[in-house]
Amino acid sequence: MRIVVCVKQVPDTTDVRVDPEKGTLIREGVPSMINPFDQFALEEGLRVRDRTGGELIVLSMGPPQAKSVIMLSLAIGADRGILLTDRAFAGADTLATAYTLSKAIEKVGDVDLVVCGLQAIDGDTAQVGPGIATRLRMPQVTYAERIEVVDGTLRARRVVEDGNETVEARLPALATMTTPSDFVPTNPPFTRIMKAKGKPYEEWKVADLDADPGRLGLDGSPTWVEKVYPPPKREKGEMLEGAPDEIVGRLVEILKQERVL
Amino acid sequence: MEDWFFTEEQRMFRESLREYLQNHITPEKVVEMEEKREIPRSIHDAMADFELFCPLVSEEYGGAGFDLVTAGIVGEELARVDPTGSTCVYYLVPASWSRMIYLYGTEEAKQELLPKMTKGRMFCGIASTEADTGSDLGNMITTIKPIRNGYVVNGAKNYISGIREARNTDGGHVTLARQDLAAGVRGCTLFFLPLNSKGIEISLDREMGREGMSTGGFHIDNVEIPERYLIGEEKRGFYIIHEGYEAARGIIACVCAGAALKALENAVAYMKERKAFGQPLARYQGMQFPLAEHWSRMMMLRDWAYKALRIMDQEKQGKASRMESSQAIAMAKLWGPLWAFDAINFAMQVQGAYGYSLECTEQKALRAIRSFGWAEGTSEVMRLIIAREVLGGTSWKGY
Repeated sequence: MRIVVCVKQVPDTTDVRVDPEKGTLIREGVPSMINPFDQFALEEGLRVRDRTGGELIVLSMGPPQAKSVIMLSLAIGADRGILLTDRAFAGADTLATAYTLSKAIEKVGDVDLVVCGLQAIDGDTAQVGPGIATRLRMPQVTYAERIEVVDGTLRARRVVEDGNETVEARLPALATMTTPSDFVPTNPPFTRIMKAKGKPYEEWKVADLDADPGRLGLDGSPTWVEKVYPPPKREKGEMLEGAPDEIVGRLVEILKQERVL
Repeated sequence: MEDWFFTEEQRMFRESLREYLQNHITPEKVVEMEEKREIPRSIHDAMADFELFCPLVSEEYGGAGFDLVTAGIVGEELARVDPTGSTCVYYLVPASWSRMIYLYGTEEAKQELLPKMTKGRMFCGIASTEADTGSDLGNMITTIKPIRNGYVVNGAKNYISGIREARNTDGGHVTLARQDLAAGVRGCTLFFLPLNSKGIEISLDREMGREGMSTGGFHIDNVEIPERYLIGEEKRGFYIIHEGYEAARGIIACVCAGAALKALENAVAYMKERKAFGQPLARYQGMQFPLAEHWSRMMMLRDWAYKALRIMDQEKQGKASRMESSQAIAMAKLWGPLWAFDAINFAMQVQGAYGYSLECTEQKALRAIRSFGWAEGTSEVMRLIIAREVLGGTSWKGY
C-alpha cells in the first residue's frame, strides 16, 4: 500500500495582515503552520497505513521554507517527504497546482491512495484535491471525515448536509478530508522530531517532473488575483442601554432616522 | 523574527510543546493541583508521554537525549502554563540530577535507575541542604563512611524538594555528605540515596508556593547504600555537584523568563481592556514606562539564559571551560529570579485589587518565583561566583 498525503504550508491565520498599498499578504515575519485540514488528512492517512502496512509519502509544493511542514509530517509519522520547490512553480493557481501535484504523484508511481485536506485555510477553494483526482483519473471522495481501506476498496464516511453517508471507491482513489470538531492534532515530542531528520527527504524541481512547462506556475494559471484587501473597518456600533421598553423606543427612532423603517 | 539561539528542530519542538502543554496543563488543572496540593496524575502522564522526565539522559537509558538548551525550552514553556511553578520543579529537579547519575554514576546504577526515572516512574531529587548549612557545604553534618560492599550514611537533610514524590515511587535523592571530615568541602562524596531505605525518617513542610510539589526533610540513621550508588569518585562530590546545580540554575532562569513574560502578557491584555479616568490603562505613560523596563529585562534575561545553557552544552563538546559555564549560568540565575519577581509584581500592581486575589495567576507566579532566590544556589552565591571569575581573570571571554 502506497499512500500520498498532500500538505500545504499556510500563514497562521490568526495573524494575517495585508499590505494596504500593494494589496498583497504580508508574509515576512508571519508565523506559518501546516494547513489544519492537511494535518488531519495526514493523521487519517497514517491510521490507514498502520492498519494496511506500506509507506506514506508526504508531498508539498512551496518555497524552500515549506520544508518545515514536511519535517513536521515526518515527525508525526510519515515515512518519506517530497517538496516541489522551484521558481517555475511559483504563482500557481489551483489549476496549475493540481496539475503539478498530479505530475509528482505520477512520478512517485504505484500510488494506491491520495489523501488531501478539504481545502487550505488561506485560499478556501477546495479545488486542488478534486483537480488532482481528475488528472490522475482516480475516483474521488470529498468531505470525508473517516477513511479505511478494506480489500482494495476505499471506504469513506462523508459529511453531508443532514448527516453522514458511507461510500466506497475502488483503489487507486483520492479522498479529501474535513476535520471533525473533536480532532486533537498530534504534537510530536523531541525524539520524533530528531528522528524525522533521518527520514528520506527530497526536493524536486521542474526538471524532475515529466510536465508541460506552460501548465506550471504563473504561466499555467488562468486565475488572476486582481486585488487582496482586508474587509473594510467597521465603525464601532452604538450600544443602547436601559430598560427594554426604552431601548425599543430608541431603536425604532434610529431606524426611522436611517430610513430603514 | 526567529530566535537565533534555537535550531530548526528546537523551534519545531517549542511549537509542538507549547500546543501540547496548553491542552494538558489547563487553568482548571492548575487549580486542582493547588487544591489537592499534588500534581494531578493526568499531568504526570502527559509529561511522561511527551518525554519530559529526565530528558537529558540519552536514549540508551530511556531518555530523550536533550541538550541543555532544549531542556531550557521545557522550563520556559511549563512556566507559561503553570504559574504555581510546581510542574517546573517536578521537571527540572529530576532532569538536572538524573543527569549527574548519567554522567558520573556507575553503569549498574545507570541501568537500574535511569530507565525508571526517564519514564517518570521514579523520582530523582537533590539533597545537600541541612538545617544549619545551605551554601556552607563544608560544614554539613551528614557523613558517609565506607563499609564492606558499600557505605553507611548518617545525618539529616532539610528543605528538600520531592520527599513525597520520591517515597511514592521508590525514588531517592542525589545526596552530598562528608567523608573526610578534616577536608571540608574537599572531602565530600556524592551518591544516590533511596528514600525508602531502612533508617530514613521523613517529615513534610508547607511552603508559600509551588503547591503541587512536596518539600521536607529526612533523618538518616545508619543507612546502608551499595557501592554502585556512588556518583563520581569518593571525596570528589564537591567538584562535580556544580554541574547538577548549574543545569538546574540555567533551566530556572528559563522558568523565570517564561513566568514573567507570561505575567507581562496578561498585564498588557488587562491594560488594554481596563479603563481609568476615561481611557485604557495602556494609554498612560505611567503604565507604559515600567512595562517597557520589565519587558526589556525579561527579554534580555531570556536571551542570556539560553546563551548560558548553550555555553554549558559547548563545555561538553570541549568548546568552553567549566569556569566559563559556571559564570554564565550564575549571571542568568542571579538576575532571573530578581527581575522576574519585579516584573510579576508589576503585573499584579497593574491589575489593582484583583492582583491580590487568590484567583489572580500572577500572585501564584510571584510566590513560585520567590523560591528561586534560594533554590539550587542563593543569589549571594551567584554573586560570589561571578565576582570570583571576573576578579580571577577566568571570566567568560566570548564577547
